[in-house]
Amino acid sequence: MTSAGNDIVSLNAINITRTKHYRFYSKILSPTEKALYNQAAFAAIPFENFVWLLWSIKESAYKYLKRNNPDLVFTPVKFILTDLLIPSRYILANFEGIQMEGAGFGNIPALKGVVTFGIHTLYSESLLYRELIVSFVNGDENFENICWGVKLIGANDASCQSIEVRKFLIDRLHHILHLDGLVTGKTPGGIPVVLNEGEELAVAISLSHHGWFVGYSFQLSESLKR
Amino acid sequence: MTRTEILIELKKVFAPYTTNKEMLDGITDETDLIKDLKINSANLVDIIIDAEAKYDIEIDYDSADKIINVGTCIDLIMEKLNHDK
Repeated sequence: MTSAGNDIVSLNAINITRTKHYRFYSKILSPTEKALYNQAAFAAIPFENFVWLLWSIKESAYKYLKRNNPDLVFTPVKFILTDLLIPSRYILANFEGIQMEGAGFGNIPALKGVVTFGIHTLYSESLLYRELIVSFVNGDENFENICWGVKLIGANDASCQSIEVRKFLIDRLHHILHLDGLVTGKTPGGIPVVLNEGEELAVAISLSHHGWFVGYSFQLSESLKR
Repeated sequence: MTRTEILIELKKVFAPYTTNKEMLDGITDETDLIKDLKINSANLVDIIIDAEAKYDIEIDYDSADKIINVGTCIDLIMEKLNHDK
């Protein structure tokens, strides 16, 4: 299945006190995921960041599946993280610079997860910095086909976020496809798409924004890679 | 509690999380929380928690898949209020 799913959480925009309340996090984490946090490997991650890390993975998985199932509704506790691995050399660091882009994660110290929803099993890669969490989901463990980007923008209002994230994505696609007429649009079901000269392109995209950060991921279909 | 009374209170619940204040003034059953009110999905849990406190009800996230537009929110709150009577 060609699809894409990503989500971003600005950690300066979350309510830490509220996130730590059982009433709040129990609407995001399943009991097995709460137990997952108690593993020694997660000691370096504050609990509130763990909650939002799982939120971002689950929402990414939801977006990934929604592209091919537009009636799907997001229910976080129904998306279950069955595995989450922190890289051995992982150190909580600041998000340096303005933007990061890549294809796959290679040597980038990303947290790798496995998330299930009903009969579906999906894979995640997440980047966790002091300022943000960004997650990407794929139907395959190999993320080399997944192009992604994260950017710090100059304003945090909804209009600016929307403009900036689309420009960020289109610039990357233009660089790869060398097409001048690229714009984003939405299907009647609200799924984001890319159009070239008014024709929908065979590329699955996912956009996200929160606070001062925006992110994208996309997967080109085989026909566009040629 | 009538639908109109719940609608008036729901506006106060949504207010801190929407950037579309104009749309908030004129919300109807069909107003979509994310598409129309521009509420970030990360705030949906906040809205559930605030609604729980305001109406003294409990909304598990299984029920939360009904939180799509204003009308389905009112339906859910009325259902919980009637259930807890």
